[in-house]
Amino acid sequence: MKLIALVLAGFVEIATAQSARVPADAVDAFHTALRNKDTAGALSLLDRGLVVFEFGGVDPTVESYALRHLPLDMDLAVAARWSLETRRVGGEGNERWVLSTYRVTGKQADGTPIDQTTLETAILRRSGDLFRIVHLHWSTSDPAFQARVQQQRPK
Amino acid sequence: MSNIHEFRARPRPLRSAMRLPGIVAACLLLACSSAALAGHDDLRVGPAMKRYAGKITGLAEPDPQGRVYAFRAEPLPQGTRYTPDEMKGWRLTLLSGKRFSAVFEVQGNGAAEVVVTPLDGPLTDVAVNDLFVIEQIAVERQPK
Repeated sequence: MKLIALVLAGFVEIATAQSARVPADAVDAFHTALRNKDTAGALSLLDRGLVVFEFGGVDPTVESYALRHLPLDMDLAVAARWSLETRRVGGEGNERWVLSTYRVTGKQADGTPIDQTTLETAILRRSGDLFRIVHLHWSTSDPAFQARVQQQRPK
Repeated sequence: MSNIHEFRARPRPLRSAMRLPGIVAACLLLACSSAALAGHDDLRVGPAMKRYAGKITGLAEPDPQGRVYAFRAEPLPQGTRYTPDEMKGWRLTLLSGKRFSAVFEVQGNGAAEVVVTPLDGPLTDVAVNDLFVIEQIAVERQPK
């Protein structure tokens, strides 16, 4: 019985990562893949036309995001807890949006606590039966954090 | 790392010019990103696992069956060095090109070469300039 449960759990995990037929499921599966250190699973949920806006920075291609920021987002997903607080979904046909807020809590490497609200806009495009993320925009409700991050950017 | 893999003197041409803008953009971003800490990375957390990125600069000659299992690589960002055979057993994921998101297990590596095991198939459709990441985690395979 235990074995069957384990097999089923594994199947559900794989199915979630690879077959997001509902837009919000694609977003959740993306976060799950990051938390599970599943790089390919996370990439499989991204449209090849992905553009990411992250706290004032831009990843103009899926390749640049995959190379530069996905690993860091994975690090944070593993180190911190992301609790979904609110969600709205909309759009129609092949283009949909999912607006989410998360409370992100945990500790930084130096022990400093992490406790902030992260705002996420995800736009998804249907390709065949599956929805994939074509745009992500993250920001925070913490103005001090937002200002600090943006000050670090080269002028 | 095995020495049996011979590398082409001339890199394979890109099979699709369409992938070039994305790769160029990614490389430009890498080149100018030294001070560009961005987004979530302002939160200083430890790495979830050790990892190295790179760009393929040459593919090994195919074996008699036409299969390729090794390539030469430029570690990224510039200045990074691979320690020979450190990445044995690690997971390689392609980040661009026709095999975007494909996963292989590293059989061995040199300072600028990577060999993958045959377990995940050959490097079919992998091309020069494709980007990859190698992470210190085992490949999870679905049961056949």
